[in-house]
Amino acid sequence: MNLSTATSHLRSEDINVWFGERHVLADVNLDFPSNQVTALIGPSGCGKSTFLRTLNRMHELIPSAGLAGSVLLDGQDIYGDGVNPVDVRIKIGMVFQKPNPFPTMSIKENILSGLKLSGRKFVNGDDIVETSLRRASIWNEVKDRLGEPAISLSGGQQQRLCIARSLAMEPEVLLMDEPCSALDPGSTRRIEETIEELSEAMTIVIVTHNMQQAQRVSHQTAFFLAEDGNPGTVVEFGSTDDVFNRPVDARTNDYVNGHFG
Amino acid sequence: MAAEQTKSGSTPQRRTLTVKPTLLGDKVFFGITSFTAYFSIALVGLVLVFLLIRAWPALQHEGINFLIGSTWDDSVQPMVMQIFPMLWGSILLALLGVLLAVPMAIALAYLIEFLAPKPIARVATLLVDLLAALPSVVIGLWGLFVFTPVAEGWSELLHKTLGWLPFFANETGNFSRSPFIAGWIVAVMIVPIITSVTREIFSQMDRDLINAAKALGGGMASTLTRVILPTASGGIVGGTLLGLGRALGETVAIFFVLNLSFDINWFDVSEARGGSIASMILSKLGEATDYEISGLMAAGVVLFVSTLIINFIAGYIVNRAQPWRK
Amino acid sequence: MAQVTQALPRPKQAPWQRRNLKNIVLITLASVLPSLLAIAITVAFSIDGAIGLVAVFLPIQILATVAVGQYLYKKRGRQDAVLMIFTIFFSTLVVVLLTSVLVSVFQRGAAMMRLSFISQNATYISSTTSLDYGGLGHAMLGSLAIVGFTTLVTVPLGVGVAIYLTESRSGSRGIVRSLIQSMSGLPSVVSGMFIYSALIVTGVSHQIGLTGSLALIPLMLPTVARVCEEALRLVPGDLRSAALGLGAPSYRMFLQVVLPAARTGIITAVLLGVARVIGETAPLLLTVNAAANTNLNIFDGPIETLPTFLFRNLSYGTDNSIQRAWGAALVVLFLVLIIFTLARTVGGDKKVAKPKKRK
Ligand SMILES: Nc1ncnc2c1ncn2[C@@H]1O[C@H](COP(=O)(O)OP(=O)(O)OP(=O)(O)O)[C@@H](O)[C@H]1O
Ligand SMILES: [Mg+2]
Repeated sequence: MNLSTATSHLRSEDINVWFGERHVLADVNLDFPSNQVTALIGPSGCGKSTFLRTLNRMHELIPSAGLAGSVLLDGQDIYGDGVNPVDVRIKIGMVFQKPNPFPTMSIKENILSGLKLSGRKFVNGDDIVETSLRRASIWNEVKDRLGEPAISLSGGQQQRLCIARSLAMEPEVLLMDEPCSALDPGSTRRIEETIEELSEAMTIVIVTHNMQQAQRVSHQTAFFLAEDGNPGTVVEFGSTDDVFNRPVDARTNDYVNGHFG
Repeated sequence: MAAEQTKSGSTPQRRTLTVKPTLLGDKVFFGITSFTAYFSIALVGLVLVFLLIRAWPALQHEGINFLIGSTWDDSVQPMVMQIFPMLWGSILLALLGVLLAVPMAIALAYLIEFLAPKPIARVATLLVDLLAALPSVVIGLWGLFVFTPVAEGWSELLHKTLGWLPFFANETGNFSRSPFIAGWIVAVMIVPIITSVTREIFSQMDRDLINAAKALGGGMASTLTRVILPTASGGIVGGTLLGLGRALGETVAIFFVLNLSFDINWFDVSEARGGSIASMILSKLGEATDYEISGLMAAGVVLFVSTLIINFIAGYIVNRAQPWRK
Repeated sequence: MAQVTQALPRPKQAPWQRRNLKNIVLITLASVLPSLLAIAITVAFSIDGAIGLVAVFLPIQILATVAVGQYLYKKRGRQDAVLMIFTIFFSTLVVVLLTSVLVSVFQRGAAMMRLSFISQNATYISSTTSLDYGGLGHAMLGSLAIVGFTTLVTVPLGVGVAIYLTESRSGSRGIVRSLIQSMSGLPSVVSGMFIYSALIVTGVSHQIGLTGSLALIPLMLPTVARVCEEALRLVPGDLRSAALGLGAPSYRMFLQVVLPAARTGIITAVLLGVARVIGETAPLLLTVNAAANTNLNIFDGPIETLPTFLFRNLSYGTDNSIQRAWGAALVVLFLVLIIFTLARTVGGDKKVAKPKKRK
């Protein structure tokens, strides 16, 4: 095991992805240090979501999926022999683009669903519910209606509920795929605040199409690009400040200034 | 680590991704469900195997004559068992049924999907589904006491007016228990399946295409014949084949309304002579000798294999006509 | 064209209303007159009803509609008129046939309805015994026992197949689906012959309730599997991803997320499966011995069911037994209607399962 990777929490090494014979991502090497928020930006279809899914082994659930390279969590390859994908997904949580609370469960049951689904024992359910909802800054809005069906919440509330649901699992890394794309500015604002608070306790990777959002929430940014028919690659990766204000690559400059994409 | 050695440019080594369940719980879960699936399809095979084992003595003795001969005689030893009149009778009934059912089904599907206002369409759908749920023994009862007297009248009328056509010739003056009547009963049994498949295809059709045809000045009729029917033809054919399969297997309803006769009736549909493999099996199996049972099992094999083939083809066509179903 | 700026007087009728009155009058005439005319001619020349319908009414109706169509919309109207008549004619035919079945069963069956018919069995009852004695209580119980056992075996099988088809990633799903689909066309008499040749001729079992139950399994299975598969498919992939993303193994994901969401669909599947076999006659005639007494034990002795009771009474052919057959038909129809309505109300309109209501 390479010791030099031990300092960074999550790290991808030469990630290549195929769907069937189609090569959609090539040689993605990224570092996601502890307690940092990394934004993934790039035009539609360049493979951001796909990359995100390789980070917690959701990728392999697609029947035609192919992969090369490795993803190291605290230096350990999550695709290594004997590593259980289920354990990986418990440590590396995910929030999806569209809010997807479980419709047959109440708000409270949704929060505890992860623990139940992954078969973990827990004693103080009510505490877990409250802590998670507080961390996702939705506690005040729902504390009196914990027994109501989760889908009675508004879209923005549902998304924060889904974040809370992931937080209840106490993940080490949280992956977020355009978590605000379906939300109004107010809800977006609150989720951004939530992200900022969460970064004190975990590593966060967020895909976003919103340049302002990337600049507001992230410490470092990776710019993905897939040029006509070629697999997507990382064109530029560095501190958010650098990527947005002093980009090295001309294409990055064009993209962050809204000239294409 | 292999990944460290790959540099951009060279083709990296693909990793094998976990496809098989790794956890014990998942293994058990998928193990059980695969078992049920394989068991269920094995059932189809088992049916064939058991029928074939029983059928073997008769098949071996009669050879191809079993299918193409027309004698069923239990006064000789060993008895002669040839089912062609029944086979042809089944086919004739199925054809009659389809002939009557297809216009009804297409009309109904068209009415439901394109013509009728929502509430009427919903009621019509409900009625068709209900018709599908009616047990065939109930249809048989109705067919014998309510429908037969009416249809006898129709049959006689056809004979009087169109009797010069070979189909409606009738020398006996007896119009009951004829293929004509049984064909109607079969039609009643298969209208629902053809309607529901056709309706499903209609409902999934591209409304823009239809509106475009209308915008170009086409009336309802030309839209139907030029756009809707050609696009939906695959589904309609498939649905009709499904109906054909049902028609071949229909037993109890036909049993009461058709006079079975080994005197082959090619197309005199209003004569009181007809055939149906399924009804013949039902009428003879009760007091059959061992060897006769073997012949009936062979008839069952013929019925089973033909419906299986028809259904398989029908399923293929219907699925191809509904790409959205994957 | 010079006066564009000047305000136009508001037309009395919007363009789409203009020919409305004429249209309505003509269309009404075209739909009412022919039938009146046809009735008049049929009565005047005392023509047979069926001839009247086909030889008098239809031509007049077609002519009238085509004429109006031609007058209003030219060629397009003519074609549409013909299409309209055929659509309505054939649709009405189906509705008339179905209504005839329902009405005759209700009418003739209602004459048989009395407490004794429902509550008694048929011991010491012959085909000529007065209708006030004997009933089909034993047949209802027998159907319950036989179909109940079939359901008990088939539902797990069918749900298992549906899970295999939707949740597993096996490559043979396509072929399994096709085979199950073609199984739904298995003639019911063949299913009976299968059990007859496998268990009865070979001497493994007598013709008891169990053999009947087994003969119904291949008939019920495809319905349960197909409806169930559809129900599972309606559960959004999002929910599956969400559950797996939380670290759920597939089986927990299925049991705790997919199954509750598909609950009503699965109940519908079971109900439709029961409706499919409750009236099956041919396989039971081959695999179960008739009984006049009540027997709930499917593992031993002859046992009667509703459809076979109907069939036998119909076969006896006496006035009284035929009357009993109509009574049985009404009971079967009633059961089918109930199950059918239940399936409809539970399943709704093929929508995703609604969430549980909480207090
Ligand atoms: N399940 C799949 N099967 C086949 N190809 C896929 C699949 N999912 C994604 N792809 C392809 O992989 C490429 C990358 O898709 P991906 O969803 O990762 O893009 P993205 O960067 O997230 O885009 P967006 O910003 O629109 O979400 C696309 O070309 C897409 O067509
Ligand atoms: Mg995406």
